[in-house]
Amino acid sequence: MNWTLLSPELFFLTAALVFLGISMSGRPDPERDYLTAVVLGAVGLGICLAYVPLRGDLFLGAYRVDLFSQTFKTLLAMGFFLIVCICNDLTGVAERHHPEFYLLLTASTLALMLLVSCVHLLPLYVALELSSYSLYVLVYLRVDLRQGVRAGLTYFLIGAAASAVMIFGLALLYGAAQSAYLADLMTALPGMLHQPMVAIGVLLALAGFFFKLAVFPFHFWAPDVYQGAPHQAAAYIATVSKVAAVAVLIRVAALTGGAGSFLTDALVALAIVSMTVGNLSALVQKDFKRLMAYSSIAQAGYVLIGILSMSPAGYGGAIFYALALLVMKVTCFLVLVAAAGGGRNMEIAGLAGLHRRSPILALALMMAVFSLAGIPPTIGFTGKFLVFKAAIAQGHVSLVLIAMINVVISLYFYLMVVRAAYLTEPQGPQPALLAPPLTRGLAYFLVALTVLAGIYPTPLITWADAAARGLM
Amino acid sequence: MAPMAYARFPFLSLLLLCCIGGLLAILCTPAAQTRRIKWISAVFSGLCLVLSAGLFIAYDQSAGGLQFVEKFPWVPSLGITWFNAADGFNLPMLLLTGIVFFTAVLTMWELETRVKEFFALTFLLVTGVFGLFMSLDLFFIFVWYDVSLFPMYLLIAVWGSTRKEYGAMKLTLYLLAGSALILPAILYLVVQAGLSTFDLTALMQPGTFTPYQEKFAFLLLYLGFGILAGVWPFHTWSPVGHVAAPTGVSMIHAGVLMKIGAFGVLRVGIFLCPAGWQHWAPLMALLATIGIVYGALVGLRQTDLKYVIGYSSVSHMGIVGLGLATVTVDGLNGAVFQMFAHGVMTALFFSAVGYIYDRTHTKAVAELGGLSRTMPVAAAFFIVAALTGIGVPCLASFWAELMVFIAAFRVYPLYGSLAVGALVVSALFILRVVQRTCYGPPNQRLTHLPDIPPLLGVPRVILVSVIVFFGLLPAFMVNMIQTATVAFFNGLP
Repeated sequence: MNWTLLSPELFFLTAALVFLGISMSGRPDPERDYLTAVVLGAVGLGICLAYVPLRGDLFLGAYRVDLFSQTFKTLLAMGFFLIVCICNDLTGVAERHHPEFYLLLTASTLALMLLVSCVHLLPLYVALELSSYSLYVLVYLRVDLRQGVRAGLTYFLIGAAASAVMIFGLALLYGAAQSAYLADLMTALPGMLHQPMVAIGVLLALAGFFFKLAVFPFHFWAPDVYQGAPHQAAAYIATVSKVAAVAVLIRVAALTGGAGSFLTDALVALAIVSMTVGNLSALVQKDFKRLMAYSSIAQAGYVLIGILSMSPAGYGGAIFYALALLVMKVTCFLVLVAAAGGGRNMEIAGLAGLHRRSPILALALMMAVFSLAGIPPTIGFTGKFLVFKAAIAQGHVSLVLIAMINVVISLYFYLMVVRAAYLTEPQGPQPALLAPPLTRGLAYFLVALTVLAGIYPTPLITWADAAARGLM
Repeated sequence: MAPMAYARFPFLSLLLLCCIGGLLAILCTPAAQTRRIKWISAVFSGLCLVLSAGLFIAYDQSAGGLQFVEKFPWVPSLGITWFNAADGFNLPMLLLTGIVFFTAVLTMWELETRVKEFFALTFLLVTGVFGLFMSLDLFFIFVWYDVSLFPMYLLIAVWGSTRKEYGAMKLTLYLLAGSALILPAILYLVVQAGLSTFDLTALMQPGTFTPYQEKFAFLLLYLGFGILAGVWPFHTWSPVGHVAAPTGVSMIHAGVLMKIGAFGVLRVGIFLCPAGWQHWAPLMALLATIGIVYGALVGLRQTDLKYVIGYSSVSHMGIVGLGLATVTVDGLNGAVFQMFAHGVMTALFFSAVGYIYDRTHTKAVAELGGLSRTMPVAAAFFIVAALTGIGVPCLASFWAELMVFIAAFRVYPLYGSLAVGALVVSALFILRVVQRTCYGPPNQRLTHLPDIPPLLGVPRVILVSVIVFFGLLPAFMVNMIQTATVAFFNGLP
């Protein structure tokens, strides 16, 4: 067996063990934990990038290493690295729990890496559960136990329900196709989609990932969990765990071979409802993290547009969109962590005067929300452009019109964030906000990436397309 | 002369680079050095003006067609190209943008608050405008469209006046609602063509689209770009936005941004969907005429100087729409000329009113009076703008409006006469405003105020001379536009 194929996974396993060791040492030292995590995260990202060209099958063909999986592993490692970078102010978690926090974060990332490589239903399910259980605990870790418990319980209950629904769907698929290998399902399913059992099986099987992606009707947890969880855990749930969900949704959708009008119709309906519910609910939010939650629900709808196009262009667009989501959301949470301070929750009004307190953070926030709203030249626009183009190529003109109307609705609350940061002045004097050098550097990097990927996205598009084509 | 020698140099990209270079230079200057920021802005916007004027003069009218072409693949897998070129349609617009940009920067010379951010955003906005006018790739046209819009929100909401946050939000939402129609239409056309290219010249070959596709897409494009062009009934953002915006932004906004809408209808809608254009022309004519009449009548009731100009803009942009709706060479010539003339005129208007407002702190017609005695120079600029707005001969607007009305009378006699009637009404309300503000007894509170100093007079003088120049020698402009319109009509099926 060729163990190099598993290098990224093995590295993250080692990293998890390192944190396990630190957590057993019993001496709280946030500085040490933070530095270890940043270094390990950077090395992990480097390893993932280095091993992008790997190809191969493992474990009796149940585990596949291809461009698609390695691309997503790179995205996951990048998300992990960015999120540990904003752990410099991890005051939302008690100091003695910091090693456990990083341990769970690493374990969850490891599980998601396994998830994007699984091509067999059983390990797929196991990997999903492994990542979910890490996250359930992460959410609980909030210092303010009342908020943490409520959020954790919501997340756990809805997650468990979604997972139960999902395994039922997987069982139906297994029953219909007599095999649990995705490759077998891929040949069997397209001919069987007209059978109610198979169509419902696919939809139910997708439920677990709808939950992760916060697609209607599995979105109810998002606002409470975002609000109650520590900022960094919320950021992780909003970004890394969604990236993996996109990956598996694409894999499962690709199984159907583009056929199946019933499935497409169902996905169209879910996409429309998700966008609309997310955007309309976001209009009335006051808390920054709740706003982010509803905006994620809407963004999930846009990602679905790419997936339901069931074409390589659509999948490529969805992959690009996953990267865009990662960049945009991490930027928002970076600003939240720096601006709120002390791990406290922050109202949108709390951004008042940010343009004076820290011009770079205000700029980063503005670019991120404009990108979320899909205004060029930003990475978010390119993502929307790609998925919309793929959808229109499949004849979903009215769907795209509805999505664009949603974009206009969403612009209102995104502009309210810009307004808070640039127009309103704070009550009483507010000191300048001196973000640590790493945060500032990260903010510059994210702004540059947001704009560059909006102006010249060609290499990224080519990469995403290649990854998507390898799947078919 | 060897036209090809200099035509190969990417002058159009250089023009964009001037904007972006100015933006970067401003960003790199410390915010406290406001003087230096203003000088940087003036120099770079001046370069833009020189370049755009140079391009206008250097264009070889006898050869016609697309000149100064630059074409590089950008995203090959999607068929997106960096494709800029100049022709008789966009050169007047580029010149207009150069003029308005430079004069707007000079007009804002006295700005004190958040100077760096203001000029940086203005440069970003103008980059989008230049980009949109010169681009022949649908992807970039859309990108530039949005780039030129979203700085408006901050520009109005931070530096504006009357109900600025409401005005800014309304404007942004309306205009992005327009882009919500444009993007699907563009994607629809590109996908239906099946050529996997966003190249406008490739897509506009006859027979690319079926009549049904053209009708559907044209409607979306017309409504989408039409919102920005102030087409009735989607114009309501425009007076509110003009009133809320600071002077320089009002100038760029009414002078240039609204032209983007009309230009988009022309460049994307009419170029790609000529059959759709012919099909929907009666609707366009109806909406345009309502806009002309409505703008004039509502303007009659306004008591705020900027609202007066705002509604006169709705009315004047209606004339552009009517010209486009005639589906004739004269109508098209007039429409493009009117875009140019109205742009310069309305910039002068806002610039004059802006000075009066900065000094008197009021825009209410009733509170002003006798300005021709207290501020003779400022009042003179205001009066020239007013006369241009009415369409007095020897000023640029006259020729433009004349061409549109002649074409309109032939095609839509009823609408044409209604529009001319509305022009008389608008003459009435504008002259009444001139009479109340510039003549009559001066408001005693305002008698001590200084007149326009020489430096601030420069931008207004430039605008006036452009108006007079093209009023006396309209052939300069008409011949230029003609090179494009005639060629375009010859290509029509």
